Amino acid sequence: MIDWLFSPLVDFGFMRRALVAGLALSLVAPPLGVFLTLRGMSLVGDAMAHAVLPGVAVGFLLAGFSLPAMSFGGLVAGLLVAGLAGSVSRLTGHREDSAIASFYLISLAAGVMLISMRGSSVDLTHVLFGSILAVDSTALWLIVGVSSLTLIVLAAIFRILVVECLDPLFLRGQGIRGGAVHGLFLGLMVLNLTAGFQTLGTLMAVGLMMLPATAARFWSKRLEGLMGLAIAIGMVSSVGGLLLSYHAGLPSGPCIILLAGVIYLFSALFGRYHSVFARWRRRVQPMLPPDAHG
Amino acid sequence: MARSMAKPDTLLTLESLSLAQGNRMVLENIDGHFEAGTITALVGANGAGKSTLVQGIMGELRPVSGRVRCEVPNARRAWLPQQLALDLTFPMSVEELVMSGCWPTHGSFKRYGPAEYRRGQAVMQRLGLQSFEHRPLGELSGGQRQRALLGRTLMQEAQLLLLDEPFANVDAATVEVLIDVLRAMAAEGAAIIIVLHDHDQMTRLADRVLRLERGHGFWFTPATINDSSSPAETLA
Repeated sequence: MIDWLFSPLVDFGFMRRALVAGLALSLVAPPLGVFLTLRGMSLVGDAMAHAVLPGVAVGFLLAGFSLPAMSFGGLVAGLLVAGLAGSVSRLTGHREDSAIASFYLISLAAGVMLISMRGSSVDLTHVLFGSILAVDSTALWLIVGVSSLTLIVLAAIFRILVVECLDPLFLRGQGIRGGAVHGLFLGLMVLNLTAGFQTLGTLMAVGLMMLPATAARFWSKRLEGLMGLAIAIGMVSSVGGLLLSYHAGLPSGPCIILLAGVIYLFSALFGRYHSVFARWRRRVQPMLPPDAHG
Repeated sequence: MARSMAKPDTLLTLESLSLAQGNRMVLENIDGHFEAGTITALVGANGAGKSTLVQGIMGELRPVSGRVRCEVPNARRAWLPQQLALDLTFPMSVEELVMSGCWPTHGSFKRYGPAEYRRGQAVMQRLGLQSFEHRPLGELSGGQRQRALLGRTLMQEAQLLLLDEPFANVDAATVEVLIDVLRAMAAEGAAIIIVLHDHDQMTRLADRVLRLERGHGFWFTPATINDSSSPAETLA
């Protein structure tokens, strides 16, 4: 068993790099996912993961399979879509999620079109689904750098993000518009999606953000608990998925995300709060006495 | 209409304030002074512009003309709006909500010390929240939630407090607690503006009444509000 767990990491440099990349992403992507779920924006993460595609494609067309160029392109495209969606929402009064949904579809179509014009279907598959086992030193530095930056910025805006999520009007009462905080948060999300696309692909990078976060909600009612659990689930999925991928000869990205999916399903069935089991248990338990105070 | 001079303890002044929602003018030439230690009831029929005036005072609406002059720093202004933006599914306890009232003074990095936690405990005791302090927000009744929100305001040590129908959907015991706490806040020097519908609550709570009608503001005392033909003063 120990050999099964450790020999791939001891024997192969690409596995060690993949492990560090997975752990670094697991440290910051799930907390962002927790905030996305709390803001009722679970699907916005998915939409933004698609939105980075034309930027990645332009980077690919200009510089070949260069991670910095593709990441930079993805970052610009993601921020552009977020900015445009926010502007359309403010100017028209439409909800921001519908504007993001519209722009991400335009963006996705443009990205696929660009890659199809100049690349092959193999390139498209690589961009869409990534390959964590092909992470080189440059990619690793980029991922670790993005994770460190995200951690610092998230710590700096944590309290204001909590206040803004819970009650935006309280923040406005202090003369602070939530727009800047919201924009910064979306920027962090796009940054992490672009860092994650090399390892998991543009379509699956959001999985490491959302699945640990949604699974954690079945186990904790406290914000700190949600954050810690989501990170732990992300890390277990990354390490487990990586080893599974190595030993079974399966693609690494889907292995990691499917493992996170299994943890989510288990949590939905047997989690401590609001799971199928927890709801059944509440139904069969005797009633508690009413509160002493109104 | 002549404008009266502001008194030295005036915390908020409205000067010929006109406000619109979209291209519809809602309020015109509203004047008034709100002094420390006074509770002003804001009354009027539905659609008279009460919430619009509150939004204007809080800077949510840009005046069409006139201005709002506020002597209270942002950190000491509190607003409990009618349509609660509070996310009840948010994983936060009553104690954490009350303690978040420290945020305007502590910002992102300053730690909440033992003194703040002691004050938080005192606030929760004052509002009868001590037995719910660890309860998640989603499991509170309407009355408990309103007490917790007022607790956050107490932690904030608000000097200017605007409340938009705070007693709506709240049980009688909570109304009594809230009235006591609001009176105590006023006695400690806060200026409180409160949107009310209930005449009995207005009589018990308010020092002055600003009635909004046909886009204009008329000042009364709680005793003279029923005699609509003879407002005590048309200007503050």
